[in-house]
Amino acid sequence: MHGYALAQRLQSISEDYLQIEEGSLYPALQRMLKAGWLETEMGLSARNRPVRIFRVTKAGRKHLEQELESVKKMFAGFNRVLQLAGRQEA
Amino acid sequence: MRWLRQLFSRRRRYDELSQSIREHLDEKIADLIDRGMTREQAKHAALRAFGNVTLIEERSREVWQWPTLESALADMRFAFRQLLRSPAFTVTAVTTLALGIAVNATMFSLVSAFLLPHLPGRDPQNVLVPTSINPDATFQASANPVSAPNYFLWASDTHLFSEVTAADYRTGSLSGPGQQPEAITYAAVTANYFSVFGAVPELGRAFLAGEDQAGHDHVVILSRGLWERRYGSDPSIVGKTVRFNRQDYVVAGIMPASFRHLGFTPQLWAPIAFTAEDRAPNARKNRFLYVFARLAPGVTLKQAQAQLDVLAEQAQHDFPAIESRWGATIRTLPEFLIYNFGIRQAVTILMAIVGFVLLIACANVAGLLLARAVGRQKELAIRMSLGATGVRMVRQLVTEGLVIALAGGGIGLGLTYLGIRFLRAALTFNEAISAMPVRLDSRVLLFAVAVSLASALLSSVAPAIKASRTTINTDLKNETRSASGRGHNRLRVVLVGGEIAIALFLLIGSGLLIRGVYLIDHQKLGFEHDHLMTAGIGLDQARYPDAAKQEKFVRDLMTQLRQIPGVKGTAVTSDLPASGFNSVTFHIKGQQATRANEQHTTTDVVVTPEFFELIGVPVLSGRGLTDHDDATSPRVVLVNQQFVHKYFPDCDPIGKQIQLDISSLPAAWSEIVGVVGDMKSYSEDTRFEPQVFEAYEQRPVGSFSLMLRTSLDPTSVTPSLRHTTAQLDSELPLLRVMSMDTMIDLNRRGNPLFAQLLTTFAVLALLLSALGIYGLIAYSVGRRTQEIGIRLALGAKASDISRMILRDGFKVSLIGSAIGFVVALPLPKVFASVLEGDLSFSAPFIYPLVLAVMLIVVFCSTAAPASHATRVNPTVALRNE
Repeated sequence: MHGYALAQRLQSISEDYLQIEEGSLYPALQRMLKAGWLETEMGLSARNRPVRIFRVTKAGRKHLEQELESVKKMFAGFNRVLQLAGRQEA
Repeated sequence: MRWLRQLFSRRRRYDELSQSIREHLDEKIADLIDRGMTREQAKHAALRAFGNVTLIEERSREVWQWPTLESALADMRFAFRQLLRSPAFTVTAVTTLALGIAVNATMFSLVSAFLLPHLPGRDPQNVLVPTSINPDATFQASANPVSAPNYFLWASDTHLFSEVTAADYRTGSLSGPGQQPEAITYAAVTANYFSVFGAVPELGRAFLAGEDQAGHDHVVILSRGLWERRYGSDPSIVGKTVRFNRQDYVVAGIMPASFRHLGFTPQLWAPIAFTAEDRAPNARKNRFLYVFARLAPGVTLKQAQAQLDVLAEQAQHDFPAIESRWGATIRTLPEFLIYNFGIRQAVTILMAIVGFVLLIACANVAGLLLARAVGRQKELAIRMSLGATGVRMVRQLVTEGLVIALAGGGIGLGLTYLGIRFLRAALTFNEAISAMPVRLDSRVLLFAVAVSLASALLSSVAPAIKASRTTINTDLKNETRSASGRGHNRLRVVLVGGEIAIALFLLIGSGLLIRGVYLIDHQKLGFEHDHLMTAGIGLDQARYPDAAKQEKFVRDLMTQLRQIPGVKGTAVTSDLPASGFNSVTFHIKGQQATRANEQHTTTDVVVTPEFFELIGVPVLSGRGLTDHDDATSPRVVLVNQQFVHKYFPDCDPIGKQIQLDISSLPAAWSEIVGVVGDMKSYSEDTRFEPQVFEAYEQRPVGSFSLMLRTSLDPTSVTPSLRHTTAQLDSELPLLRVMSMDTMIDLNRRGNPLFAQLLTTFAVLALLLSALGIYGLIAYSVGRRTQEIGIRLALGAKASDISRMILRDGFKVSLIGSAIGFVVALPLPKVFASVLEGDLSFSAPFIYPLVLAVMLIVVFCSTAAPASHATRVNPTVALRNE
């Protein structure tokens, strides 16, 4: 996926909840490139223009899974605390 | 190696990055045009949604950089360019810091050499030095040497120490056929001495067990210095015989040059052979041993101290006459050596002063940076409007401070090198001190770097933070008269006020110290010390075993010395005046035996009859000593006025009988036959002490000094003096051959240097703070040119203007001075409690004097900008707008 498409996708997924500057994607992408989670190659945009595409590597996928796992755990924790808090208030 | 690959692929990465961003924007613009915007509208909308392209590109690139290092380098390059652009500012700031750093590093070389000495051997910090506490001494009372019985007691206590050695530091002679006899310092030590320190000779061997027994003790170990100087570094000397104290000793080994212990660094070591007498109870009176030990396993320093206290109490109980009130204490070797060296207080004071000088220098540089920041407000505002963050600006400005400090540090190191060379040349007043390696070592270097960094922070952080609070709007619009500009100035006023407070404080402190030192160095000693040659002689037991032999030698020598042309008179004394007399206890006949803790004490000297006339001490009443006061006649003594004042305040002392407690002599009553004028026992003492003079013929001593009154330069008789002595005894060395004036100079040790350094630093502080106030006022005049122009145009007189400027300067200075003045008030008490010795620091006149000097300097440094202000041309000033 190329940068612009990524930005659009983010916006539509989050249903405009996340109002971010599109440009702020780029430092993040560079960090992931540096860590080896992404790689780049040439591809085509929706308008059939040649653009640089970012692709998730094997290492990147593995890291993503780990991160998702830990985020899930964190949210599970949040949920329990919130439920407990709700019950006590009631 | 990934980082290396990254380094080379970076250029490509950057290109790709710019390309991606460009593609992103192009796609977005195309989308927006599809939705019906014009190309122009679409471009703006796309850029707005994207954010600051340059900034984002920079952030993205930073991911691939070592951000701190690389941008720091960029900052540094920028700082360099900035500084080169304003050379006057740069030179002033760098010079100021260079001076501040140089004086600090130079003084730290003293700290490094004397307060953090490299000691030889294994774990030197674990070597302990137990000492006796002398209840009557005023100088270094708790580092008194130990008596042999106490040493034996401590050494045998297995709950105390695992290894113990004792050393007696003495003077001896080296001689040999065809060689000039030489007096050397040596240590008589127990056989295990070197193993206690964990040190071994670099050539040959250490002493063997049993070599400290009589009959086996004719072995010596040479110091590296002596071996090089006297024996030309000849390695075959090991195993050969040398003539030491008139006897043949075999050289067992050579110690390396690193085996040094500050003031306890002898030229030669010989075994000490204790005799039965040393074990007798009476030997407790002779406290001459320095003990070095390592703790027994599992014993702490505290427990060892407690055990020493127990033993001391026991001794007080068992031997009340000798041990009463005497105690014992324990120190680690480094602590003991530094304490004994007695240089800590002076070095600490100097270090504190140079620290303050550095603070003043930093305040000056901070002031300069603040002024510059105001001038650069526009530049900063533009950079911030282009997206530079506050942190980034602070970093840029701190980097500038750092570049200044490092340049200052570099030049400062050059100055330090010179400063240390000066110190080395000046530190010649004491053999132990001049032998110490005061140099630009790694510790001094590290210290200089640390000081540079600290001063970079000190001088640049506050101005930088202040500058980074620049508000874009007002600062872009307004020129220099913005609100924050006034804020900068307020901070500068505080800085300069602080500088003046510190400078005044330092000036008063140094003034008090210098006066204290001056008083001592210029006090009346009570005798004529010019044209007086002196030399020490120690008659050894080998050739002069009894009093008759000693006396004969002295009589012959005196007769011969008087023949030397240019010698007007000679005398012999057990101790030279002004160089410290021995103290003894005594009794007065007819008075009840005094209790132990209120014993009478006096200093006691043995002299030949000519002594008083030779050095110009008058006999005030009674008679002087004569040649008839010899062994066969009744014992007589003279006393000085101070003695009469203290012990016979209401009656005539002539005819009274006193008995001196001298361990080596049977008790005997002596009659006071005369009273002489007061002279100083020790040249660095401000008080006169009670003195008793005994006749040499009635109490011959083996160790004494010769005094020769000369008509010309006293040192001109040195060759004849040596020659005459050698004719009588070719193996007898002369000790401390020097004029009385040189001797007194040596007593002063570092005092002149100390005063010189204090003056230098105080003047430096004064000059720097003068520069500070000059900078502040000149700068404010520059900024108020228009205001002054308006005032002049409206009819203000030149004198009004200069008065206004002067008033500004004085307001800051007076507040600063007042603070410095008040803070300096308790200084005399602080000095008196910190500095050992007999210095007097109460000199109230110093305070107003220093204040006056300060105000004059302030006036001079404000006068120039003030007169400059009066020459402002109103039309030019207003056109400036």
